Amino acid sequence: MLRPRVIVCLDVKDGRVVKGTQFKNLRDVGDPVELAQRYEAEGADEIVYLDVSASSESRGTLLDVVRRTAETLFIPLTVGGGVRSADDIGPLLRAGADKISVNSAAVRDPELLSIGAERFGSQCVVASIDAARDNNIWRCFTHGGSKPTELDAVAWAEECVERGAGEILLTSIDQDGARTGYNLDLTAAVADRVSVPVIASGGAGEAVHLRDAFTCGHASAALVAGILHDGLTTVTELKSSLIDWGIRVRGSEMMEANKG
Amino acid sequence: MKLALFDYGAGNLHSLGKALEAAQATVTVTSDWDKALRLDGLVLPGVGAFGPAARALPDDIGPLRSRLEEGYPCLGICLGMQLLFDASDESDGHGIGLVPGRVRHLESAVVPHMGWNDVETAEDPIFDGIEQLVAYYANSYICEPVDSAAAIAWSTYEGRRFAAGVRATNTWGLQYHPEKSSLPGRQIITNFVRLAAEARQASPDSVESRA
Repeated sequence: MLRPRVIVCLDVKDGRVVKGTQFKNLRDVGDPVELAQRYEAEGADEIVYLDVSASSESRGTLLDVVRRTAETLFIPLTVGGGVRSADDIGPLLRAGADKISVNSAAVRDPELLSIGAERFGSQCVVASIDAARDNNIWRCFTHGGSKPTELDAVAWAEECVERGAGEILLTSIDQDGARTGYNLDLTAAVADRVSVPVIASGGAGEAVHLRDAFTCGHASAALVAGILHDGLTTVTELKSSLIDWGIRVRGSEMMEANKG
Repeated sequence: MKLALFDYGAGNLHSLGKALEAAQATVTVTSDWDKALRLDGLVLPGVGAFGPAARALPDDIGPLRSRLEEGYPCLGICLGMQLLFDASDESDGHGIGLVPGRVRHLESAVVPHMGWNDVETAEDPIFDGIEQLVAYYANSYICEPVDSAAAIAWSTYEGRRFAAGVRATNTWGLQYHPEKSSLPGRQIITNFVRLAAEARQASPDSVESRA
């Protein structure tokens, strides 16, 4: 059976992993290559780098980080944030990214998704959607959640898939950073309508939130960031709890044997 | 061990190259078939679409197929496995035809089949040292060998059991990505490099030495 995935997200700026609130007060928390390796060793199923560098000069730095990461990381790596046009996709994949995720650039130019899927295959095109509740719709936002659009997240997700996206990375802006759990209504609303895997993002505070994302949110994967970087828990601990609740994540057999 | 990593011109070859190098192989990335068949083995990576990759195959597929039939070591990953077959639903063009059969679209509710899935394995030295395999997949197509005995591994997705691996002489095709499957995946790559070395020792008939 296909195992629900636990994906670790690292914000990368100018070649370093940073942490902050709403892209402000960023502080350095380490080397992405080392941290990615550590999370693989803990049992992470995938790594996502979100490039939060503002400048275009940082693109070379990002490619270098991806290249160095791919030399030692043997789980899938998705890179987002650095893709502004179709021409940015090839170099990132060549450097060692398995998938690229696009958000604002896809809203500005939806053709980007089609071109990426045609050239490199749907499996490496992730549509990243940031959404927040606004009256009766899930409104999409771009530019790190700062700019509202006219798009409804469910309809936009369907269009992304039609255009060739192979996966949806769905972030609830309201929940992001709150650690009170994923937005299950939003996650289920999108997951029930699209035919590709949906990654729940925004709001992970403890293992039970991941369980709910899989069971009630119908997510194929759950993205975790802050609680790991702050040392509040580990991937191993999260997975151990999921296994106790009967969720067969990767590593279950080994952990069950260890528990005796 | 000198291995050719064939470049169809799209996607991520870097991590596969590094995984092979970590298993002590020397890797040459090439789009030149003459060169690819004159080393100690060939790796067909798993990125891109069937059509463009099939167009990157030699016009006359005969010599390549014969070379593999004679036992030239080869590892085909994902799309690389699919290229070992005759043809694909994904696009026009002919595969290598080493394994008779067709590549079919995966008819499931959620496609691509993306993530870590269980792999049932048959007795085969490519799986040496692996007790239980859970491997990373990212595929929308699956291979249907005419002769089910060609399969050496299976996975099940949404109730459908399909060939996760095939073997013909010293060619192995794997539908999942060993280079993305953490430790057990790296074990498989190490096993391939060892098996390729053994095959070359048993039959050191390189095209170069014959020419």
